[in-house]
Amino acid sequence: MTKKSAFWLFFIGTVSSAVIFLGLTWDMHRQVAALSHADKLSDKVVAGKRAFEHYNCNDCHTILGFGGYYAPDLTRVEQRIGAEGIRYRLLHPELAFANAPRKMPQQHIPEGEIDNLVTFLTWVGGIENGDWPPQDSKNRLTRGEQRLVAGAAVSPGAAVFQTKGCMNCHSLNGAGGTFGPALDTIGRNLTMEQIEHYVRDPKSVNPKAMMPPQKELSDREREEVAKFLGNLK
Amino acid sequence: MEYRSQRIANWYFTIALLLFVLQVMMGLWLLSNYVFTIPQWLVDRFPFATARAMHTNLLVLWMLLGFMGGTYYIVPEETGRDIWSPRLAWLQLVVLVATGVIALAGFAAGWTKGRPLLEIPPPLNYLVVAGALIFLFNVGMTMFKARRWTVIQGVLLGGLVFLALLYLAGIPFYRNEVIDWYYWWWVIHLWVEGAWELVTGAIMAFILMRLTGVDRQVVEKWLYVEIGLFMFTGIAGTGHHYYWIGAPTYWLWVGGIFSALEPIPILLMVIDTMTYVRHRQVQIANPHTWTLALGCAVFHLIGAGVWGFAHTLPQINYYTHGSQVTVSHGHMAFFGAYALLNITVFYFAMPRLKGIEVYKPTLGKIGFWTMSSAMMLMGITFGIAGVLQSYLERVLGMGYMTAQSYMHLWMTVTLVLGVCFFAGVVITVIDLLFPKPAVKPGGA
Repeated sequence: MTKKSAFWLFFIGTVSSAVIFLGLTWDMHRQVAALSHADKLSDKVVAGKRAFEHYNCNDCHTILGFGGYYAPDLTRVEQRIGAEGIRYRLLHPELAFANAPRKMPQQHIPEGEIDNLVTFLTWVGGIENGDWPPQDSKNRLTRGEQRLVAGAAVSPGAAVFQTKGCMNCHSLNGAGGTFGPALDTIGRNLTMEQIEHYVRDPKSVNPKAMMPPQKELSDREREEVAKFLGNLK
Repeated sequence: MEYRSQRIANWYFTIALLLFVLQVMMGLWLLSNYVFTIPQWLVDRFPFATARAMHTNLLVLWMLLGFMGGTYYIVPEETGRDIWSPRLAWLQLVVLVATGVIALAGFAAGWTKGRPLLEIPPPLNYLVVAGALIFLFNVGMTMFKARRWTVIQGVLLGGLVFLALLYLAGIPFYRNEVIDWYYWWWVIHLWVEGAWELVTGAIMAFILMRLTGVDRQVVEKWLYVEIGLFMFTGIAGTGHHYYWIGAPTYWLWVGGIFSALEPIPILLMVIDTMTYVRHRQVQIANPHTWTLALGCAVFHLIGAGVWGFAHTLPQINYYTHGSQVTVSHGHMAFFGAYALLNITVFYFAMPRLKGIEVYKPTLGKIGFWTMSSAMMLMGITFGIAGVLQSYLERVLGMGYMTAQSYMHLWMTVTLVLGVCFFAGVVITVIDLLFPKPAVKPGGA
């Protein structure tokens, strides 16, 4: 090969790759509104994005998989722990993570900004991004959930337990979160009725409880989950 | 040293080395956050996020200062004339270092743009741009006045202009998170797998040519082939970051195919380096410099090429994306491709700038082997943690912190290795700041 042909190899290689890349960039701009539901991209969402950046959330947490790897991914956080779960952690990180091996800084975020952050994270959760991350995918039960279902025999209460975010703090058979106690034998300590009260208002059963009241559950869901947990002995 | 104005490079190198030490210290603190439970009061005052912003920005700053110093060293020798304005080179150094110091103090006080790796807030961005423009103008004027164009100069200048232009993509505020990440990667990916590779290719070609005495025509021909392949695979290869951000699905194909080819130019670089050393025309005065050059090429291939390839295919990346696997790859690739490149340049230029033609390589060897083996092992232990995370959290669906508890052991081992790496860095930096001439055989 001569130096001249090497130059042409460089030139053609660069230009062809750049043409493909810029062409697809143009096409991405045509499609992104639909994929990200830009019609729901309100000023409140943008305000939430600004707050997300202002408090540097992204250097501990990933979002869409990018950022710091020190804390959980936030792409589907609204689906995972619910708006109340997000609010509680932002308002009182020192309580929410009191027993956790890693802490989150208390940044004294005003309530209005917390509201914007929840709106922003909810909007991000709706982005059609190839069903990532896998742990929050709705298309398939994780192995942990499959094992849970098999072990506990399918019951409506088990379904509530899996889908309403209980497992973000609590675990069963080693699958789930570690903020709250494992619930494998909870039925030995609390009756079904106590559990139901606990879920409605934790402080009514245990004044020192750190768990937030689960206001999003319907009466029926609360009954079923209490029945399910009360039988774990 | 042939030109007086080359001396400015020494200041760039010295500051770069001090920032490198700071960067690694910050890295040790980050690892401690994984290993120990940091109390709430300390987390409130100095959160992980702030330390991470410092760790990554120090990396970018010291490497860019290293590249710029390297350029100021190389350009006079390539063009055959002094830097157009040494004063501007000074001014540029002051502007960039001042920006860096203000940015770091700002991070500590909570002043940040909040975009990972690009945390420097907008008013300071323009200072960075000003510094870059002074640099490009100065280097451009030197080349223009000399009118002795070489391919190495052209690639170097092209890479630096490309680098500066891409930085602009990271400055605006984007309303849509998807678009924001799309252009974030124009800075991050197209820097490290585009513009920085051009600069690296040019600097490597210059040093190898000088070290081995291989004919310029041969070196420059292969430089074209290398950068041609880097650009061809690297530009469209940006797509491997667009798999899960809400961009169209064709990126899975484009990103997968182009980035699978990305190791090829790095492999070519290794082969070229080895060939030049084998066909050297002159005796190599400082064997340690070419150990470094070869080490850089090989580590570049392992860290960027092999580790990058390992999780670039969408089917694998679905599970490893945004896990400690990424951390493993990031550390090995940056160390192999860019930290070692800078250290090679420093060892090539710094002793010479102090009038030492043949330097004593003892400390340098200890430093290099300590850093390289510690980083290789860190790549492996971060990688084990990452594979555990991918399997436990993403495949089995375990909660985030539960999965992290199984990784704790490996993060602890990594911290120990990090301390070893730090020792290697300190030895290397001391050796570079105070180089000793080699004792001639016979004790003359």
